[in-house]
Amino acid sequence: MGLIRLPLAPVSFALFAAVMLLAVPLALAGQGYWLTVLTTAALLAFGSLGVWLTFSIGRINIAQGAFALIGGYVVAILGTRYHVSFWLALPLAVLVSMLVATLVGWPILRLRGVYFAMITLSLTEVASLAFLNGGGFTAGASGITSIPRPALLSSSLAIYIASALLLLAGIVIAWRFAVSPAGAVFRSLRQGEELAASLGIDIARYRLLAFVASSGMGGAAGAMFAAFQQNIFPTSYTVNDSVNFMLYCFLGGLQSVAGPVVGAFLLVIAFQLLSAIQKYQALLYGIFMIAAMLFLPNGLMSLPRVLAARRRRDE
Amino acid sequence: MSLLAIEGVTRRFGGLIAVNNVSFSVEAGEILSVIGPNGAGKSTLFKLIAGFVKPTAGHILLDGKRIDGLRPHAIAARGLVRTFQETTVFREMTALENVTVAHHLRRRASIAAELLATPSVRAEQKEFLSDSREILARLGLAGLENELARNLPHGHLRALGIAMALAVRPRVILLDEPFTGMNSEETERAVEIVRTIRAGGVTVVLVEHDMGAVMRISDRIVVLNFGTLIASGTPAAIQQDETVIDAYLGRADEIAAL
Amino acid sequence: MAQILIDGCVLSASYALIALGITLIFSVMRLLNFAHGELFMIGAFMVYYVYGVYHLPFAAGLVVAALVPALIGAGFEKFLFRRVMRIATREENAMLLAVGTAILLDNVALFLFGEEQHGVPETISGVLQIEGGFLPYQRLLVVILSLALIAVLLSFVQYSRPGRAMRALAQDRDAALLMGVDVDRTSMLGFAIGAGLAGLAGGLLVTIQGVNAGIGVDITIKAFIMIMIGGAGVVSGAVLGALVLGFAESVGYSLLPGSETYLLIFIALVLFLIVRPQGIMGHPWG
Repeated sequence: MGLIRLPLAPVSFALFAAVMLLAVPLALAGQGYWLTVLTTAALLAFGSLGVWLTFSIGRINIAQGAFALIGGYVVAILGTRYHVSFWLALPLAVLVSMLVATLVGWPILRLRGVYFAMITLSLTEVASLAFLNGGGFTAGASGITSIPRPALLSSSLAIYIASALLLLAGIVIAWRFAVSPAGAVFRSLRQGEELAASLGIDIARYRLLAFVASSGMGGAAGAMFAAFQQNIFPTSYTVNDSVNFMLYCFLGGLQSVAGPVVGAFLLVIAFQLLSAIQKYQALLYGIFMIAAMLFLPNGLMSLPRVLAARRRRDE
Repeated sequence: MSLLAIEGVTRRFGGLIAVNNVSFSVEAGEILSVIGPNGAGKSTLFKLIAGFVKPTAGHILLDGKRIDGLRPHAIAARGLVRTFQETTVFREMTALENVTVAHHLRRRASIAAELLATPSVRAEQKEFLSDSREILARLGLAGLENELARNLPHGHLRALGIAMALAVRPRVILLDEPFTGMNSEETERAVEIVRTIRAGGVTVVLVEHDMGAVMRISDRIVVLNFGTLIASGTPAAIQQDETVIDAYLGRADEIAAL
Repeated sequence: MAQILIDGCVLSASYALIALGITLIFSVMRLLNFAHGELFMIGAFMVYYVYGVYHLPFAAGLVVAALVPALIGAGFEKFLFRRVMRIATREENAMLLAVGTAILLDNVALFLFGEEQHGVPETISGVLQIEGGFLPYQRLLVVILSLALIAVLLSFVQYSRPGRAMRALAQDRDAALLMGVDVDRTSMLGFAIGAGLAGLAGGLLVTIQGVNAGIGVDITIKAFIMIMIGGAGVVSGAVLGALVLGFAESVGYSLLPGSETYLLIFIALVLFLIVRPQGIMGHPWG
């Protein structure tokens, strides 16, 4: 559909998929540490794709951590207390996340800008505090540990492949949204809600769709993390994590579906590489964020464009 | 039965009465203009009709059925669309994307089908694309399909906004100051566009300050002052109407006295 | 009962300084200062070092507590936010930049000051008894100083030339430009003053609560809560928000363990915002 200027060349995707599903397992089969890093990157990228969807309707969503927490706890509670298989708990986690998103999203999506940002930030806090004060049901501050590994996913490699597949599915979903008429509706919401309504678009319904889809993805990411780390605590996802999801989107660039993926992988891998200077890790993080906003406001994916424009200026 | 009927519509904002017991009707196929000095309540009236604001009292009927109280997208679905002064178009999309997204109400496919890109969705999209091109051409925007809307000059932005409204295939279109900010050449083009819209079977209601254009193009005119309807009739009648002249002169006096 | 009222007043007075600071920055620059809590923390540390470690007068500590964050704020505006707000295509860029500054300050503070909790000795000792409640003179001092600072700030904003420029900028940027307001300088001043207020609040509260390098995020969240309750960018809203939060905390802490209090506060806040998203005094905003 030649309308959309959101590039996701099938070739790039195929290459990425090949790297993720073939090259990495071949190269890193025995290296638990790096597989864990890439698993983390893949799942965070998946969660960021959700936040990307809410950016596309013009909302600053700082609630993704809350849904990751919800997803994680669903898997944790169902797995440890009711011995439900992960493969059933995962879709349930997504469902619960989407349900909460529907209930909460319906009234709050009327808000925009900093108001929506602040209320979603509050939601992340509410989730954390709720699970902390959930008494016997959520086991409070001590969290839930010894979550059983899912059947079929006992090795780091298997978990990595499952996460990579989830990410690839997420990329396809986000891409399909972007290039479909529904995606055009989303973008119209960002650029003029009243205008969209006057053209017959049910803006409340579409806003909710984006938010619920995003939250479902957050829940899935949280569920996978819980299964892979085998524990969850009320502090597993804080405001910092919700902000990180936003950061990955911004760093990569909001123009294309690839942005959040690039952002997440870059930061997660860079961090691990910098683990030698662990002491300065978070500091560098802050500096990096500032530098990115100063010099590459449209994200890394805009770098080719920026360099080309600069070259043209110099000619 | 009139196509659009405004019956005793009043809108209060706290102590302020913006629209006061206004009644008039619009017949199918006509071009009706709403004029009045600044602050007369014209834009509030528009918002009331299009569903962006609810009347404090009164009814608004489209084809004999009440539309007051409905949300804007529901009113659009019933066949009444408005254009805007400020956010006329979606600035980050191309002209073609703008008009295509405006076909929303004509979609038959579900969102799930859209995500799966079924053959019927693709056929629908193809149809909408060619329809969009045709509308753009009709409004003199043919070469600008792939231009980003934010790069278009002012006059073309207005035309694009109208193109989008037409894509909905409305029965009634509310044009919000379609001639404002235009030079005489652009105004001529805009007048032609409005005539073309009517020729296509769409009823036009417009709010405007440009008296010349209003007098040339309207079948009937309705005059508001301080939220009240003070006159209605043909352009010739309105131009002679004492109360209308007083209203405009009165305002001029107020301003002169400041 | 009396104790709850007393505690509520003490908290509200100092929280009002925080709320007014972030409100000033928001109204002048349309920016949500994610680093506000970190500036509070830095102010607290300034008093800790000047007064607690080097035994200089408390007043000197307060001056430093105001100046250092103010300079940081001015620097942020001039070198970071000014540029980003000019080149940014989306409004979120400035917000993420603010988050970046918060992370930066958090980690610089951690690096410079370490992780431990620190306190300072009392500046006045003794306790006042009112109607069955205890009001330590230290807290009374904090209240009095807070109220005095609020009065100074409000007069400044109302009557001084820079203050009027800030109000003009807050109300209508374009009109302010036309009237010759130096937007850059006014923004920088607004940010500096807002940051200074946060620092002062920290410097005052360190005498009651102490400080550690990790409190930045919590204070920022409290600042957000206050402006959500009262309405962003409105002075009366800031004060109202501080009152509501201060008393909610004092009531809550007397009845429930700490984290439960905040859970209830947040839930009540979300429900309130659903009904009235712009806060008590805020302008209806999309």
